[in-house]
Amino acid sequence: MLKQLQIPSRRPIRIFLFVFGAILLLSAGIILVYPANASPLPSSKNSPQNEACLTCHNRPDFQRPMPSGETLSLTIDRTHFRDSAHSGISCTDCHTNISSFPHPALTAQNLRDVSLQFYTICQTCHADQYDQTLDSVHQKALAAGNTNAAICTDCHNPHTQPLLTDSDGSLLPETRSQIPQTCAQCHSAIYDQYEQSVHGAALTLENNLDVPTCIDCHGIHNIEDPTTASFRLKSPQLCATCHTDATIMDKYGISTSVLGTYVADFHGTTVTLFETQSPDQATNKPVCVTCHGIHNIKRVDDPVYGLEMKQNLLARCQTCHPDATSNFPDAWMSHFIPSPEHYPIVYYVTLFYKFFIPGILGPMAVFVVSDIVRRLIERRKGAKHA
Amino acid sequence: MSKTITKPKSAPEARKPVASRKAQAGQTKKDRYYQRFHWTQQIAHALLLSSFTLLGITGLPQKYPLSSWGQFLIGAFGGIETTRTIHHIAAVILMLLSIYHILDVGYKIFVRRVRLTMLPGVKDIKDALQSFSYNLGIAKKRPQMGRYTFEEKMEYWALVWGTAIMGITGFLMWNPIASTGLLPGEIIPAAKAAHGGEALLAVAAIILWHLYGVHIKRFNKSMFTGKLSENEMLHEHPLELADIKAGISERPVDPKTLRKRQIIYWPVAGILALIMLFGVYGFVRVEKTAITTLPLEEDSVPVYVPQTPTPPPTITPTQGSGAFLLASDTPIAYLPNGEEDGLTIAADSLDAGKLMLSKFTHQQPGQFAVSELAAVKD
Repeated sequence: MLKQLQIPSRRPIRIFLFVFGAILLLSAGIILVYPANASPLPSSKNSPQNEACLTCHNRPDFQRPMPSGETLSLTIDRTHFRDSAHSGISCTDCHTNISSFPHPALTAQNLRDVSLQFYTICQTCHADQYDQTLDSVHQKALAAGNTNAAICTDCHNPHTQPLLTDSDGSLLPETRSQIPQTCAQCHSAIYDQYEQSVHGAALTLENNLDVPTCIDCHGIHNIEDPTTASFRLKSPQLCATCHTDATIMDKYGISTSVLGTYVADFHGTTVTLFETQSPDQATNKPVCVTCHGIHNIKRVDDPVYGLEMKQNLLARCQTCHPDATSNFPDAWMSHFIPSPEHYPIVYYVTLFYKFFIPGILGPMAVFVVSDIVRRLIERRKGAKHA
Repeated sequence: MSKTITKPKSAPEARKPVASRKAQAGQTKKDRYYQRFHWTQQIAHALLLSSFTLLGITGLPQKYPLSSWGQFLIGAFGGIETTRTIHHIAAVILMLLSIYHILDVGYKIFVRRVRLTMLPGVKDIKDALQSFSYNLGIAKKRPQMGRYTFEEKMEYWALVWGTAIMGITGFLMWNPIASTGLLPGEIIPAAKAAHGGEALLAVAAIILWHLYGVHIKRFNKSMFTGKLSENEMLHEHPLELADIKAGISERPVDPKTLRKRQIIYWPVAGILALIMLFGVYGFVRVEKTAITTLPLEEDSVPVYVPQTPTPPPTITPTQGSGAFLLASDTPIAYLPNGEEDGLTIAADSLDAGKLMLSKFTHQQPGQFAVSELAAVKD
């Protein structure tokens, strides 16, 4: 075996090809697994050309009126730009239409037009992220004519954007805690709800990074439409990402069987089956957010809104079961696994059948087997089944 | 053994030997045939067979919805909602069949006063033990049994018990709001547990006991032909055969008495039937359990609510404090810390211009809540 594996030393060309192929494979592998970052642009740090631009553009009150009546600020703060992720690239790498002074005439009619004219340049270096945005709900809204829809520069100010990731490509902690405020620029009403929720409060008041920010449920660049049937059907899995993870939940004493107990009940069974069998078909059976809220999720022991209080739970039940009365909420076992303490009737019924089923089937099986054996013996003997 | 899930005989002529074609062809008396099941019983059995099977194959996947076979079956029926509908339809068929059976048995008991051959007794326990001993080689002889063997009685009463449990627990799950109006809410998941456990028991028992007893051990065709041969009768139901031969298997009623009893029974049965049918109607229609539209789970806030002031993309506050120059609440310039003091606002060039002082605890524009904007200077 060993002999066969040895590279024949007589053929140096083969060795070369082998080594070359190995290097090629390895480099392809590295390229494939390397985190998606901006592809490098050849540019020198603090390029003198940038300084030329900043001679004018560092002026704090540098601005010009737009045809729409708005005022376009043209100030670029040198300090902030130097601290940004883009400090190493030159102004004209993005502002490709500008090569001299005076600059070409601005064709944009209003402030929004300026951003809309420029943002596609981001794909030059950030092709992966840009391509992801093409599938996003923002891009769809933009394509449908809604110019308010977020584009690259709305979340990432190109002149100030600091590095968001470490060398491994994972988000820096301070970046993570700021995400909701970025989204809040356009979704401030939702942010206000989030800020009051159990997750948002933990993030903003305690800087707790275990809680989800916007992107943990909605994704980053390929943010999909959260109002579709398919998003709703798979939303329990989103919650379950953290809520079935004991390493996070144990810290807060939260049960990790919330998904299992949900799926085991009528509602969860239906939703799970819809999700696997007809993911685009809507079902009106509740998902996590139907009872717990979406951005305004409260602790279950919240003194005002907590679902632990029967009247709060009943009110939730009644959104779908309008005729439900005070006993009805107990038909849902509140994510408990039946035990002698919680839902004892269910526990003892299940226990009864654990013994009753084998208690009936066991003797039946013994009798059937004895009957088979007897018949086989008699057949061999040629005797009659008396 | 033959089907146990049938009712005692109904037609008076049922147990008389039937002259089969073979018998007419001059064969021995071994080939004489005896009527075992009336045609109404055969139809009832066919309905039971179909509804039970449907209930089983639409019900068990609901007990194991995450299994691959369960999902396959649910998909084959057209999804979980359709599977549930089929299950409900089959349940109604079984309920109607049960009502028919109750009235039929009532007629036999109160009008014809037949022998109650399906009632279990001490003899059945003895027969079961003797059969088992025989199988083990201890007893020399198999027990001699009557019209219904202990195996058949066991299956019949298991079916009665099972149908009752399934009916009650099924009602609770089908009508949770009506049920929890009287009972604790916990009864619903308890009913689900019992319904699932009982289902498993019923299907397993049918496969183990019924399938072995009448199909594998020896294919007993009497439920489909309605007849058993004398040879089979001698082997399986010798005591019944003896009774038939002795002419005591029947209890003939004279037409006058029969008529008198019928006059009493039919109105009573009619009222009972109405009550039970009304019960089935209630089963299906008593409550509207849930809304049929999608539940309202919107945040009840509009999605697009830009912050005011909207931070422009060119200005860049980081940590520290600074000021926004506002024109009609739109920031048009950012002044780093300290510089705002030296700024003069040309009142003629900026309509309603004002200066907004800000403390920035975050690194990017827009990353401050409105509450963080410290002061507004005119």
